Amino acid sequence: MSKNEISDSQLVTLYRNGDEEAFSTLLNRHKNRVYTTIYLIVKDRYVAEDLLQDSFIKAVKTIKSGRYNEEGKFLPWMLRIAHNLAIDYFRKEKRYPVVVMEDGSKVFNTLEFAEDPIENKQIKMETHQMLRQLIQELPEAQKEVLIMRHYMQMSFQDIADSTGVSINTALGRMRYALINLRKRMQQTSIAYDKNIYRK
Amino acid sequence: MTKTFTENDLIRYVYGETSEIENNEIESALLCDSEVQEQFAQLIEITQQLSCVDYFPSENSVKNILDKAKELNLQSIAK
Repeated sequence: MSKNEISDSQLVTLYRNGDEEAFSTLLNRHKNRVYTTIYLIVKDRYVAEDLLQDSFIKAVKTIKSGRYNEEGKFLPWMLRIAHNLAIDYFRKEKRYPVVVMEDGSKVFNTLEFAEDPIENKQIKMETHQMLRQLIQELPEAQKEVLIMRHYMQMSFQDIADSTGVSINTALGRMRYALINLRKRMQQTSIAYDKNIYRK
Repeated sequence: MTKTFTENDLIRYVYGETSEIENNEIESALLCDSEVQEQFAQLIEITQQLSCVDYFPSENSVKNILDKAKELNLQSIAK
């Protein structure tokens, strides 16, 4: 069986027993999701890179010390570590996120097909860039729920518990976040189309 | 049929958090209620787009993590 077919839990056990390749598989499997979650919180590539390293190294130390709870799922656990470190970063720095240029960031498009015409790829890329920007512009409470539910895969009940609100409030914030994003996407697309066709 | 679920329930459905009974009710509405169909289609569209937003860490960061994991692995073997 190739390592790609092995469950996260089995990979953790293999790594704890000294199999370095098992950790490499785990890292490659989850690095983008963890990095995306951190980036959406800190909005700074370089800080996100540092926090990604800190998160995985913290996980490694926990696994190696035998404190990892095998009953839990690896990715949600990993995402919680990353989320906590990102929040700690703001607390330590006593500052709030600032928007920085996304120089060199790439877009990963899971719905992209090889036979897509170049124009379609370009439109999808621009749509995703626009969406990333709009996520950053959401009110903090809505953005927090969106990241926790969509990228960290936390349940609405867990989100409610960890943010100290009722499940209905968490759901309401998510609903407004999705409505806002959709509305803004439509507005931006219309403005974009008008600019294109005016030329 | 009277609709008893809310937009929040539809969001829970999209994220797989509804019970079997709720699923049946929502799926029945999806078959015949155009308003619910539209709400559902909009939710699916935006959540699919959100799933496509992904960032990649640098190769350097990945290498640093692997190096550290290797170092910690060797330390634990040596103990």
